[in-house]
Amino acid sequence: MSICSRIFVGVLPLAFTAALSAQETSLDPASSIKIDLPADAPLNLISTTMGDSRATSRGGAIVLDLHMGLTLRNSGARHIRGVTLLITAQEFAPGGKGSVARPSIDVPPGENFTLPVDIRLVRPVRETAGPLVRVQLDGVLFDDLSFYGPNRLNSQRALTFWEVEAQRDRAFFRQALQARGQKGLQEAILASIARQEDRPQLDVALSRNGRAVGSIVSSAVPGTDRVAQFAFLNLPGAPVQPLEGWAAISGNEARSPQVEVLNKSGRPVRYVEIGWLVKDKEGHDYLAGSVPAPESAMVLPAGQHARLQQDTALKFSHGGRPIEIDSMTAYVSKVEFADGKVWVPSRHDLDTSPLLRVTAPSPEEQRLADIYAKKGLAALVGELNRY
Amino acid sequence: MNHPREHDLALLAGGEVGRIRRFLLDRHVHACADCQRKIAEYQDLRDDLAGIEFPDLNWNFLAADMRANIRLGLEAGACVRAEPVLRRWNSRPAIAIACVLLLLVAGELLRDGRLHRPAIVDAPAPVLQSTGSGIELRTGANSLTLLKHNGDAVGQTVSARGDISARYIDSETGSVTINNVYLQ
Repeated sequence: MSICSRIFVGVLPLAFTAALSAQETSLDPASSIKIDLPADAPLNLISTTMGDSRATSRGGAIVLDLHMGLTLRNSGARHIRGVTLLITAQEFAPGGKGSVARPSIDVPPGENFTLPVDIRLVRPVRETAGPLVRVQLDGVLFDDLSFYGPNRLNSQRALTFWEVEAQRDRAFFRQALQARGQKGLQEAILASIARQEDRPQLDVALSRNGRAVGSIVSSAVPGTDRVAQFAFLNLPGAPVQPLEGWAAISGNEARSPQVEVLNKSGRPVRYVEIGWLVKDKEGHDYLAGSVPAPESAMVLPAGQHARLQQDTALKFSHGGRPIEIDSMTAYVSKVEFADGKVWVPSRHDLDTSPLLRVTAPSPEEQRLADIYAKKGLAALVGELNRY
Repeated sequence: MNHPREHDLALLAGGEVGRIRRFLLDRHVHACADCQRKIAEYQDLRDDLAGIEFPDLNWNFLAADMRANIRLGLEAGACVRAEPVLRRWNSRPAIAIACVLLLLVAGELLRDGRLHRPAIVDAPAPVLQSTGSGIELRTGANSLTLLKHNGDAVGQTVSARGDISARYIDSETGSVTINNVYLQ
């Protein structure tokens, strides 16, 4: 058990069990929150609202309920497509760090936008020096896919993937509009809304270095350890091909997934992410999660193999009932080349596979569906024509 | 045959034994040629020593000097004896008691270590859990909600790297916000 986990194990139960002696105080933005925007950042902080943000002292821990709103101004010369903020109460222990990202935006130069920060963090009482919470800019993505920021959370990669997915899905709906008119667009967006509503979602308990003990469904399914192989869904345009992979399975728990991949493109690759589907005993497919390449820098030359593996345990349930894993399928969901260019499955790849029904839609597709649901077809057409 | 001791023969040679002792020794010596020879050697040695001339010394001064040195040694010993004697007398039991106490304390600590170590190992690991109502951080039976859905959540994504993200759509602006929480 790491030092951080020991701190967590020591501090967090105090936070849980000492609720009776809890003392709530409203957070003073001047002394409790430190917002770090570098001097050369393409964002200016215009105002901060604290809402009902508060700190609650519980035993040896402080629970910070943040309900802030940061109004920022694009002080750069390019349109902003995405922003990520790093929110830190303590750096290394669980529950001490979070992030807030806003992808799929289009903020012209000089325009303001508000970023909500609704998150709860924990920190030990004894860490009294400095502000309780630190808000830092981790990255800004522009419309030309250039990036600004310290990128501690690999925000550049995440924002770029979201933006490329957004461009793909905007192009898909725009094409539906151009090819089949408003009726065609309406059919496409209604199909998207239906998929989003029907998409089965799992509740997942995630832990490191072993079993996901502590889950509410921790021992609901008696199971025997076995090693299950991944089946692979090969997408025609994927630059990386999964070769073999497996995970240890016990009932509704899967541990230590690992997948061997081959770079079949002609370019070096520095990041690969595997999408992970599980099928239960009744034959229902679910998106379990993703298996990303490790944080450390990976360069996979053309034609070479690499192994993606994570030492974590995932336990699945649905509607409060454990999902006993029958089989698993993996596919390459994201690739980043060494030059920073990225690959995501095309709309055709998604349409011609079970992925469209099972996987999460892009943030942009969700945003467009929300526009249609709340404002109607005309608003959606106007949005698609905006950029 | 049991011979008399050497120093008895030496004293007999000098005429320095009592009457009874002399009677018993004479009985043996008359019948023992070895002892007669030894007595003759001791008598010759005494005659030789009697012929040595001593240097002209002030024996009274030497005697007074020796007495003074002896008194000085005794007084010096008395000065330094008070503390060392006390320390020697007290430190040994104190050390013994300390050793026993140390042994008891160490035993107790080791016993406690054996009792507590499994508790640390078996302590439940932190678990990040996505549920229909939000994302919770759990340890054992305890939980703390880190992200709470406000009815507008549109999905959660789990990464085996150790983080879970939740998407929300801002009801006012329609923008998507993605919150991430991390196991570490």
